[in-house]
Amino acid sequence: MGKKAFARGLLISLLFGYISFVMIPLYVPRPPFVPGFAPPPDMWPRVVSLLGMVLGLLAMFFSIYGEVRSKGRVPDSPDEENFHWTRSGVIRFVLTLLVFGGFIALVPWLGFLAASIVLLFVCFLLAGAAQHWKKGLVLSLLLPLALYYFFSHVTHTPFPQGSWGVSSLLQ
Amino acid sequence: MWNDLLFAFQSVATLTNVLAMSVGIFAGVIIGAIPGMTGTMAVTLALPFTFYMDPVSSILLLVALYKGSTYGGSISAILVKTPGTASAACTVLDGWPLAQQGKAGKALNMALISSCIGDFFSNISLIFLAAPLAILALRVGPPEYFMLMIFALTMVAAISGGSLLLGTVSACAGLLLATVGEDMYGSFRFAFNEDMKNGLSVAPVLIGLFALPELFRLIVFRDGNSGQAMKLGDNRLTLQEIRGSLKSIIRGSFIGVVLGAIPGIGPSAAAFFSYGEAKRTSVNRDNFGKGELEGVAASESANNGCCGATMIPLLALGVPGDVITGVMLGAFMIQGLTPGPLLFQNNMNEVYMLFIGMMFSSVLLFGAGKITARFFTHISHIPQVLLVPVVLILCIFGIYSISSSMFDVMVLLIMGIFGFIMLLLNIPPAPFLIAFILGPMVEENLRRSLAISRGDPSIFFQSAISWIFAAFIILSIGVTIRREWQKSRNKSPQKTA
Repeated sequence: MGKKAFARGLLISLLFGYISFVMIPLYVPRPPFVPGFAPPPDMWPRVVSLLGMVLGLLAMFFSIYGEVRSKGRVPDSPDEENFHWTRSGVIRFVLTLLVFGGFIALVPWLGFLAASIVLLFVCFLLAGAAQHWKKGLVLSLLLPLALYYFFSHVTHTPFPQGSWGVSSLLQ
Repeated sequence: MWNDLLFAFQSVATLTNVLAMSVGIFAGVIIGAIPGMTGTMAVTLALPFTFYMDPVSSILLLVALYKGSTYGGSISAILVKTPGTASAACTVLDGWPLAQQGKAGKALNMALISSCIGDFFSNISLIFLAAPLAILALRVGPPEYFMLMIFALTMVAAISGGSLLLGTVSACAGLLLATVGEDMYGSFRFAFNEDMKNGLSVAPVLIGLFALPELFRLIVFRDGNSGQAMKLGDNRLTLQEIRGSLKSIIRGSFIGVVLGAIPGIGPSAAAFFSYGEAKRTSVNRDNFGKGELEGVAASESANNGCCGATMIPLLALGVPGDVITGVMLGAFMIQGLTPGPLLFQNNMNEVYMLFIGMMFSSVLLFGAGKITARFFTHISHIPQVLLVPVVLILCIFGIYSISSSMFDVMVLLIMGIFGFIMLLLNIPPAPFLIAFILGPMVEENLRRSLAISRGDPSIFFQSAISWIFAAFIILSIGVTIRREWQKSRNKSPQKTA
């Protein structure tokens, strides 16, 4: 737990430090003229990111302090939830990221409706609904279709049709 | 006044008005309960239909939708750990653990009772306190506003997850994300593409942060009660349980009314504030976050307590308190009514009819809540391996339909990944969300105050209201540090040995 808390503090301070010293100078340009005595646009993000970095360092300090004080006998935070990663869990996590990326990439080709059907069915399988695959398949077809019709007709939402015309065939 | 109210009661009790309110309440509860469908969306979608209705019926329909969706958000918050609306985010903290313990029915009933009491209290306040509260809100300037927001943020950081440090880190991340886009003087910050120049919308950030980590958790760890239906259990609340939560309900209703009457704060902040106060003062404070009915009561009474109160600045000053009342302002204009002091002079009958209609809709909310909760409890019989991916698709369609933007869908998915990383690191997401919502207001009031004072920070300590908020901030941080210190002493080697 001490190691986890230390790593968490390190990650927090690195993230906020990166924002403060790399991203803000690059992506928060100061205008040549700021009206009156108004603070410049980078003031607030800089204050917040520096505060975040200090808090990360504090988290690291407390993790070391807690470890020394407990001498390894008592966990830092017994209330904290622990997650046990497995090899298959990591693979499923990476696959989910790829599926999300694939959905965004496929919408211009397959259209919103067909891409949603594929996304839903793959998510069912990844979530472990293999024993309910028939229900999953029916839901994957019917739910996106129902939502598509609802939003197209009630709110007149213009969904991307996709250049391959698959979504048009499904309608 | 009483004669006017009696006349208004007779005018409201027509079939059209009752039908408008009933449809509004039922549709609002259903829409609010669907993750990804917000109250704002419900009110906005109904706006075109009000063109064909008379002024009072149309406003009553929108108000009923607002109230219904505010309560409806709690249903999915309790049953599937996904707040249907932003204001129900706080209800998840205790509603979901209660559902896991087989007490979803109790949590739903407590949410309904608290919502109705909060709503009723809010309506009474609207009728009797509209003018004085609106005047008070007018006196709050940028420095006081800034102090109030910081107080709200310290409260939120302190209440969620148990660690002030991690809560504050979460709030800092939310404040930073809120700076994306155009600032108050027209500078673009972190605008990596054209879409980001407009900033990030609340809906995809909220839904992504709260709904999608559950999907990841289910996929990666396969521990989301896979295939097991959530049991409703005994849904009857005992008199003792209601009595135990009554103090929090009344306090939550009051907080909802006060914060709802101040433009911009809204039901989300009120719910978190009320929850924090309930946690701080309750005898069961250690049980908060683990399935405490009082937590559900505090959150729900406050968010519904805002519903009537947000109408106070709208009706008395013509200032919308939040996005929904902003849409309602448009509805008033369409109907030829101009909210503001003149409304009370020129359209007194309509104002009284609105008051009576709002009271009546509180009663309807109770009935609708009872009926629809039974219907929505069927969600609990769906295996979670089927339900969670369905929630993902509902969210994707809901988010896309708001502004027909694939960028918002991308934000939703990225926030889901970010939310999952926060879950892995035990960083609470609630302070992030509330900081993201309040962020633009915090910065605007800070920069405006410093511009007024020519860079002198003493402006934040020049009025009594500022000092009161400063004292609250110190008190809130002090109490939290003391509590954490005591907790750390209790688990020290000497004590545990």
